[in-house]
Amino acid sequence: MQIEHLLQLAADQLGVPVESITMESRWKEDLGADSASIMLMIMDMEDATGVTFDDEAITGMQTVGDAVAYLEAHMA
Amino acid sequence: MRIILDATGGDTPDVNLKGAIDALLAYEDITVVLAGPQDQLLDAINQMEATTRDRIGKRMEVLDAPEIITTDEHPVMALRQRPRSPFVLAANQLRNHEADAFVSAGSTGAFMASGLFYARCVPGVARPALGAMIPVPGRPLLLVDSGANVDCKPEWLHQFALMGSIYMKEVQQVSAPQVGLLNIGVEEVKGNELTQAVYKLLREEKQIVFAGNIEARDAIAGSCDVLVADGFAGNILIKNIEGTTSVLFGLIKKGLMSSLAGKIGALLCRGAFRNIKRSFDSSEVGGAPLLGVGGVMIKAHGNADAKTITSAIRQARTMVTADVVGKIRAGTAHEA
Repeated sequence: MQIEHLLQLAADQLGVPVESITMESRWKEDLGADSASIMLMIMDMEDATGVTFDDEAITGMQTVGDAVAYLEAHMA
Repeated sequence: MRIILDATGGDTPDVNLKGAIDALLAYEDITVVLAGPQDQLLDAINQMEATTRDRIGKRMEVLDAPEIITTDEHPVMALRQRPRSPFVLAANQLRNHEADAFVSAGSTGAFMASGLFYARCVPGVARPALGAMIPVPGRPLLLVDSGANVDCKPEWLHQFALMGSIYMKEVQQVSAPQVGLLNIGVEEVKGNELTQAVYKLLREEKQIVFAGNIEARDAIAGSCDVLVADGFAGNILIKNIEGTTSVLFGLIKKGLMSSLAGKIGALLCRGAFRNIKRSFDSSEVGGAPLLGVGGVMIKAHGNADAKTITSAIRQARTMVTADVVGKIRAGTAHEA
């Protein structure tokens, strides 16, 4: 799974241009996500990668980089 | 037509089977899929009268959903931890077009979350909204949103208006539903930033008949057919109506029963009181549709009886037959 594909999933779910997303982007403050859209995006990423985020990872996830790092660490 | 019924939902889950049987006997074009622990459901079905079983035939099925979610749990986490609950299994079947509708009297939070996260919204709809039929005598009112979205954007309320109007046309047969916006004054400039922005969107929307701002006191006086609100204000309104009605009826009863003259008066008026009570009878209404998701979803009240469950299944059948989901998809397509 390419990082570009994950960023595209996030862009589609949040309705923002993929070019505006960086690893440092904060989901809520920078990308305008609410808790529901973050969860939808997480579930899309889970479907795409087969990785399941645990509850602690979800609640602690602040930036795009947090999500990508979690996926990279747990993908086979 | 396949309608999944949460057989574990509500305060008295036994009413679900009874309600399903009555619906199957009334409508021969539906199959009801009971979702819950398979062994328990099969036992209950085996105890049905043989004549009833014969009439229903193979139109009652069981979907094994042994994991239960209760009303006191965090809905989203509970859904993720229990993927074999009726909510997740049913919503997934809606998303995969393996079923047409889902009816539940269980946890409202889990119901709404399963619609948003598993059934998913139709393209163009940002968030699903919970519609609540308020049995206003002579002119039933659909309040949308009644609690699914406490923080809303103006475009979402615009979509709630479109979806509510489609529902009233297709299910309640109101030819040109008047759509009002819940606000604290009738003038365009009244309200907060959200309602002022929504007012402008609804005024320009050609697919609806916009009736302007509606104040809460006029909401149940027959001012419109669809009342649009964010889920926070909508939920406060509906709970206020429920509470006020309950207190008012209690006061009338107490007043009448406090004297012999009152009791005689109550006896003379009992026909009128019965008619008033019937006009507010929610068991005829069925449940609250979750509008905007990729399948028909009906939330029945937690204290639903068998008659309410039957009505909710009938309501789901009407929505599927009228293709409400397809019409919402078409009505919001320009926003996809």
